[in-house]
Amino acid sequence: MIIIAEKINGSIPSVGKAIEAKDAEFIKNLAKVQSEAGADFIDVCASVEVSKEVETLKWLIDIAQEVTETPLAVDSPSAEVCAKAIDFCKKPGLVNSVSMEGSKVAVVFPKIAATKWECVALLCDDTGIPRSAEKRLEVLEALMQKAKEYNIDPSRLHIDPLVEMLATSDDGINMIVEVMKEIRKRYPTIHITGAASNISFNLPARKIVNQAFVVLAMNAGLDSVILDPLNRDMRGLIYATDALLAKDEMCIEYIHAFRKNIFGVQK
Amino acid sequence: MAKIDEVKEQVIIGKTKIVPGLVQEALNEGSAAKDILQAMIDGMKIVGDRFSAGEIYVPEMLIAAKAMSKGVEVLKPMLSAEASTSLGTCIIGTVEGDLHDIGKNLVNMMIGSAGFDMVDLGVDQAPNKFIEAIKNNKNVKLVACSALLTTTLPALKKTVDAIKETGLSGFKIIVGGAPVTQKFADEIGADGYAPDAGAAAEKAKSIIAA
Repeated sequence: MIIIAEKINGSIPSVGKAIEAKDAEFIKNLAKVQSEAGADFIDVCASVEVSKEVETLKWLIDIAQEVTETPLAVDSPSAEVCAKAIDFCKKPGLVNSVSMEGSKVAVVFPKIAATKWECVALLCDDTGIPRSAEKRLEVLEALMQKAKEYNIDPSRLHIDPLVEMLATSDDGINMIVEVMKEIRKRYPTIHITGAASNISFNLPARKIVNQAFVVLAMNAGLDSVILDPLNRDMRGLIYATDALLAKDEMCIEYIHAFRKNIFGVQK
Repeated sequence: MAKIDEVKEQVIIGKTKIVPGLVQEALNEGSAAKDILQAMIDGMKIVGDRFSAGEIYVPEMLIAAKAMSKGVEVLKPMLSAEASTSLGTCIIGTVEGDLHDIGKNLVNMMIGSAGFDMVDLGVDQAPNKFIEAIKNNKNVKLVACSALLTTTLPALKKTVDAIKETGLSGFKIIVGGAPVTQKFADEIGADGYAPDAGAAAEKAKSIIAA
């Protein structure tokens, strides 16, 4: 499972305050602990007003790169901002994100075409978030067509099929499971990603719902996830699920992660 | 660190992909095949001890044994040329009426890693199957009988009795399995007992030297 660490995000109140106060130590620590917990990418999202976003991202990226070698995920609702942030990074990371909305793909894909950068792509377009599995897969195909034009291999893409809140869903996650299985079938090497916590919005004891979701989604093909890597229960659950899905020969990854104190009783 | 010591370290941590190359490097450095084999056996002893102590899990023991067997493959052509390094043949099987083989397989692997040539009869083996195997194989030094169920403990006794009644000699009989105890092993006249796979390998070596 590819872990995209979510904690450096200005929309989290304590991080927002640290950005406001230019508290570099606070950000450094977040980068360090998430990297030590085995994150594959550390997400960096400013969540500030547009006029300050690029400079704030640069500040965050510079600080994170002082303390970690882990690749970064440059995160902004603006494709232009993502494209600019790429230049601040010392090594290839992950663009978070594009979709078939507006010119997002046209801005980001040429920029990363000849690099090793990977890219999160959401299955929505100018008409919004499609309601049916069929329509989401149409967006997928439009996206894959663009990727092909820019010679971006499927293995560099993390497709987010857009999981919406369970509390208002008519069919649980059945439609999303169908989409995930179809994506996996069509593109065996592609990554399927999502935030682990959107599903439980406005429900009590959210972590239970999040955990059940991740297990079911992994069974459908999820192999990349945006979460807090210090969430020990979730990490253990993910290692266990990978082993149960025969993606961890002889449970060695599970045992090693346990020995590294990533989950289990806190040592 | 000499390559031969690296071989041992990498076997212990179960690096199946790295061990074969390191074995070759150790050979290139001038280490004898039998010494490299011994280094791997020593590594597996540490693995067995850690398992017995509850410090490592079954997959970690399995993968260490797998790493060793990958290393042994590299050594094989040279080992057959050199004088025999085998501690002898060990016949192993689960007794009649008992279909369990996970524990028996672990013991098979660990005794094999200690330097024995293994003949695995499988599960549900009648006493005469053990006896035939003792007769049909060369240099049999050890017979290992496994039983997992309390209901098949009598079959363990029957097997040991039958082997002894033949008058065949030159080997020791060891017994094991979840319900087996040292006391029970003594009662049925077995020569040795060990509580787990790691300890079984040690028992196998010590009992044939006794």
